[in-house]
Amino acid sequence: MLNSQGLNTDPDILKELVYLPGREGSLQVEMVAGARSHNMVVYPLQPDIETLLAEVSAGNPVLVMQNLGFDWWPQWHFAVVVGYDHQNQALILNTDTRKHHRQPYKVFHATWDRAERWAVVILPPDHLPATAELLPWLRAAHDLESTGHTLAAQTAYQTAEHYWINQPAPLIAQGNLAYSQKRFDAAANHLRRATERFPKFAEGWNNLAYALSAAGCDQQANQAMACAADLAGDRFSMENFQPDARSSDTSAACPKLPACAVETD
Amino acid sequence: MNGIRRYAKQFSLVMAILMAFATTFSVSAHAGMVGTGELIQQQQVNLDRQQLLDMLEQQEVKEKLTELGVSEDQVAERIQNLTPAELADFEQQLAEAPTGEGVVGIIVLFLLVFIITDMLCATNLFSFINCIR
Repeated sequence: MLNSQGLNTDPDILKELVYLPGREGSLQVEMVAGARSHNMVVYPLQPDIETLLAEVSAGNPVLVMQNLGFDWWPQWHFAVVVGYDHQNQALILNTDTRKHHRQPYKVFHATWDRAERWAVVILPPDHLPATAELLPWLRAAHDLESTGHTLAAQTAYQTAEHYWINQPAPLIAQGNLAYSQKRFDAAANHLRRATERFPKFAEGWNNLAYALSAAGCDQQANQAMACAADLAGDRFSMENFQPDARSSDTSAACPKLPACAVETD
Repeated sequence: MNGIRRYAKQFSLVMAILMAFATTFSVSAHAGMVGTGELIQQQQVNLDRQQLLDMLEQQEVKEKLTELGVSEDQVAERIQNLTPAELADFEQQLAEAPTGEGVVGIIVLFLLVFIITDMLCATNLFSFINCIR
């Protein structure tokens, strides 16, 4: 699976990643964590066959779980769907050691159904799945971030920013990531872009205020927080503004803020 | 896998309560950065809410509601006031509902939630229900 994305992974290493000696097989969690350790995004698919086929047609192999046994005596099994054959009503799977094994739709359906139609695509962070949606993608990227793969996460957020241009969340996510790495200037930069393009998004102003304060721009920080409070007074207020992080150098040029979206009347 | 599913009911109840607490605190005031995870969660709630409102637009649903004597506005307003925990509960029930029974199932669910909240005196849509407090 990882090899299909141009990574040179030794099957032995992968096996080590996902194979649990005691259980003679691998578990979902290990599978997912294994992929993440290679800086790949693990994107869960909607549990329907159309989505699965759409990904396969787009050239993204789909990792699926199957239950080859019964509900009351399950036998879990992983396989990779690499293609399908409409004429013969079959899916083409790489399963256990067989490559390009043809499995009739019917059989696949029954076994996949019993595994709650678990399916994921594993892709590099600059490659969106064919059926990608914003929130699941961001969640997958955030999982990368919280497991310490910050560079991959950053790329995934960037990919989202370019694809979903009408959404503020990818910009905020990049700002938050930079902030957590104590790169306050960069954080302020991302968040300022967020407020520029989405001046009504209060969370952007709030986070910008913290980033600016940490970067040593108190005046602009207060200004940004005032704007957040104006936009969403029930959630943000000047009294609650307690910036914690501080950078040592109060140098750098403080950016000029975009106009606040609230009309003063 | 089956092991955890056996406890799904109890587990989701605990989660729902936890989420209810989490939202109670987060709505009041926010000090600090809004984290990415929190942001995603929040946007998911908005999306779920919108999907529920979109379902109200279906003709069948409208008819069923009129039949039951509940106005669309009332339902829409109630949806706006659903907490994230209630919404998540809804979504889960919807996902579990067998296909085909979709619309009717949704209606029954709506009413179920309304009746329960009415019993707790949170709303007062149905005059025949006396609240327990």
